[in-house]
Amino acid sequence: MSTNSVGEEQQSGLVLRGVGKDLGGRTIVDDLDLVVAKGELVCLLGPSGCGKTTTLRMIAGFLNPDVGTISIDGEIVTRVPPEKRPTAMVFQNYALWPHMSVFENVAYPLKLRRTPKNEITARVHEMLELVNLMHHEKSRPARISGGEQQRVALARALVQRPAVLLLDEPLSNLDAKLRVRVREDIREIQQRLGITTVIVTHDQDEALSISDRVAVMNSGRIEQYSDPTELYRSPATRFVGGFVGAMNTLDGELRGGADSTVAVVGGVTVPVDTPATPGTAAGDRPVSLGVRPENVLLGPVEAGASAKIIRSIPRGHFTEMVIELATATGEPTELRAYLDDRSPIARLGPGDAVGVRLHSVLSYDQDGRLR
Amino acid sequence: MPVSTMVTKIARQVLTVIFVVALLTFIVGPLLWLAIRAFSTSWTYPRLLPDGWTLQWFGRVFDDPQLFSSIRLSIEFAITTLIVSSVICLPAAYAFSRFDFPGRRVFLIGLFATNAFPKTGLYVALAALFYAFNLMSTFGGVVVVHLLGTIVFMTWIPAAAFASVPRSFEEAARDAGGGRLRVFFTITLPLAMPGILVALIMSFLASFDEAQGTYLVGAPEFYTMPTEMYSLVLNYPRQVAAVFSILLSIPSVVLLMLVRKHVMGGQLAEGFQIR
Amino acid sequence: MARRHTGTGPGSRIKIGGLLMASPPIIVAAVFVGFPIIVAIAYSLGHVGGLNRTIATIARGQHTVGAWDRMSLGAYRDVFTDPRFTHDLGVTIIVTLIATLAVTALAWVIAVYLRTTPEGAWFRSGVAKLISGLAVVPMFIPVVIASWAMLTFYAADGFIRSLCADLGFQGPTWGYTMVCVAIGLVWTNLPFATLMITSGVQSVPDALIEAARDAGAGLLTIVRTVIAPLTIVPTVIALTFTAIGTLGAFTMPYFTGPNAPSMLGVDMVSYFRSYNRPQQSVVMAVVVFAVAAVFGAFYVWANFRSAKDSGRV
Repeated sequence: MSTNSVGEEQQSGLVLRGVGKDLGGRTIVDDLDLVVAKGELVCLLGPSGCGKTTTLRMIAGFLNPDVGTISIDGEIVTRVPPEKRPTAMVFQNYALWPHMSVFENVAYPLKLRRTPKNEITARVHEMLELVNLMHHEKSRPARISGGEQQRVALARALVQRPAVLLLDEPLSNLDAKLRVRVREDIREIQQRLGITTVIVTHDQDEALSISDRVAVMNSGRIEQYSDPTELYRSPATRFVGGFVGAMNTLDGELRGGADSTVAVVGGVTVPVDTPATPGTAAGDRPVSLGVRPENVLLGPVEAGASAKIIRSIPRGHFTEMVIELATATGEPTELRAYLDDRSPIARLGPGDAVGVRLHSVLSYDQDGRLR
Repeated sequence: MPVSTMVTKIARQVLTVIFVVALLTFIVGPLLWLAIRAFSTSWTYPRLLPDGWTLQWFGRVFDDPQLFSSIRLSIEFAITTLIVSSVICLPAAYAFSRFDFPGRRVFLIGLFATNAFPKTGLYVALAALFYAFNLMSTFGGVVVVHLLGTIVFMTWIPAAAFASVPRSFEEAARDAGGGRLRVFFTITLPLAMPGILVALIMSFLASFDEAQGTYLVGAPEFYTMPTEMYSLVLNYPRQVAAVFSILLSIPSVVLLMLVRKHVMGGQLAEGFQIR
Repeated sequence: MARRHTGTGPGSRIKIGGLLMASPPIIVAAVFVGFPIIVAIAYSLGHVGGLNRTIATIARGQHTVGAWDRMSLGAYRDVFTDPRFTHDLGVTIIVTLIATLAVTALAWVIAVYLRTTPEGAWFRSGVAKLISGLAVVPMFIPVVIASWAMLTFYAADGFIRSLCADLGFQGPTWGYTMVCVAIGLVWTNLPFATLMITSGVQSVPDALIEAARDAGAGLLTIVRTVIAPLTIVPTVIALTFTAIGTLGAFTMPYFTGPNAPSMLGVDMVSYFRSYNRPQQSVVMAVVVFAVAAVFGAFYVWANFRSAKDSGRV
């Protein structure tokens, strides 16, 4: 998806080129490239310690990259201190100053810019209305709820009219119910203002549901950078597949031609309806297969490779089944499958036999890359 | 409730009351006994109250120019010490809390040296140096002695106060467009203020109350309120000493009352736990 | 919050800047504490040249050496053969130990009482409020005043004796005795120790105490096995500061103690001012420093140990 067209740098809101950072003798961010288009919302997604927060702090200017350049709206800002950068950040713990009221918190950036008093009032009020907090204008941050504090932090960032808005784990301190609403609010405000935005998160749900594009990071590198649908459908690496959504990983390979493909796992052939990537017939290199649980189709025994149910886990709106494939080598191979509750198979229990077919199978080479 | 638990409960409450009364007598008794004397005409043993009441001793103190000048001198020393100590210690406190440099911890604990040597011994040791540099019986010499008593307060407590201001508060302000100094004065300093205030007041009082070093180094040129007490006790009626004591206690009580909440709330204790 | 030096500038510049900013109090401590102590030790060993020249010209009964690589223990012999000194050294150490232990014990009782007071128990929380307020009162009172107040309270015509007389028996006279000195030192040192230990005990998480109670531990067991081990550092800080403060006390023993025996703080000042024998006074200071060093080492050890425990070193 990240087509590298001519003039991209000029049109892009934020560009990182070859950025690297070592901290305490460890490489945290390694030769990272990232292009965020103007008005785009991008999530940096990854496990803790993958370098996503370090990347964000370099964009904000709190850390200087050891190598590489960062530019915003075509201007190189690599060495520009945070106070001079056109970025505004929403901190994970919100970092609202406890000795100032909500109004004063939001007004602070404008006061620094020597904005006229009446303009400050007008702009702060505009922002507080945007985040729906006019009634708390005079409150101290400690007196309002976590969700409200978050909105104040957002207002304080937006009032600066930044070229790039940065959010560090914006939802991690909110409870589950509130999270969904707040992330939708953030997305709506971002789209209304058309502001280039980078969000750091470790929550794949959050990333998939609000981003234009998601950059999945691992060990200081971006493993995949694409839109949420693409990311989910064809994870570029085994790591991405495992981190974004659930994924069954099987040692095996895809064989067959255009009309009938099979997966060969532990000497057994499992029928495959539509391989996502047609694998090669050559079986000389070991590969692994990835298949999402919803693409593991269970039916009557005669409809596929034979398998045995081990556990059945009710998940509310669907049923999760753990099944064991009867392999020729005798090595047990477990698979997870999601079933519609209405399916007759969902009523079967441990020990019962089922037939397995696979759908949208991805095959990866030994380095874990999509083939 | 079974009778036995009732009995233990009552016994425990009685013991508690005895403890509290004993503590009350131990702590407040001597002060009360002294304060009452300031208003007494005379006091005959073994009566628990004075023979009569009067305010004449207050007049005696206010009319004595020597006593009054010692009050002024005490305040001058305390304010000078406070200013010098702030200039020397507060930037250092910030550095200790925010920067990592070689020997940070060793230096921070090393400041303990100013308190690690018993004061009288230290002042005696200082005397040789003071004679050599002509600091004996000078204003500067007394300020140095007072300064030594404030270093630990003025460095450790503000350092802990600065350290307790989350880094992200400063970063958010930098991000909002504030330069380093601006951020320090609008965010860090106001948030660290309770701790700094505790340190300032403790230091002011340390200087205001310092007696032994001032006596050793300042006498006979400089008699502050506390050193004046030494001779007062011998040369004046006891009631005058009592009046003087009340006067000397007023600034301490007032200032400490202002920061009582922060002192009890752990600002002081926090400062003495080196991190 | 343990992050430091994550600023934007290059690391080495911040390091040097930090060191520069931090140096003034260190320099003051070095110049006015470290250096004079070295000079004083040299003086005590008979070196009367250099910075010691002025003091040496006005002193009596000095022992001197002519070369920098020689030393004379004459002043030490003077001091240690003086029965008054050895006696006062013993008195000082005993008073220091008694006062320090009493202060720490009292502070612990108060701290535990406060920590274990349940919310809503009106009697106990009332008492808790009262004693926590009482314990810090001495901090509000200058030592000179406190000493004077102690003396009148425990004097022959003081409150204790008056009260006893009214109740019909002969009370003890503690004024001008070491008892009054010890009581006074407990009084002046109580606030600091209480604040340190209370704050330490308060910071032991509820969950740890509840878990111990759940496991069947009584109050004393909880204090011994859970609260005390987690409050070692504040306790050591309280112990050290109290002990060092007591060792060098001058005002309290000067006012409330007998003429002899007395504490070394008083001896030092009288040797220095009244007898004009600063060298002997400095010798006593050196001896007191040596005793204090034991407490100081204990303090430094506890601090580094706690830093190691929490992975800060």
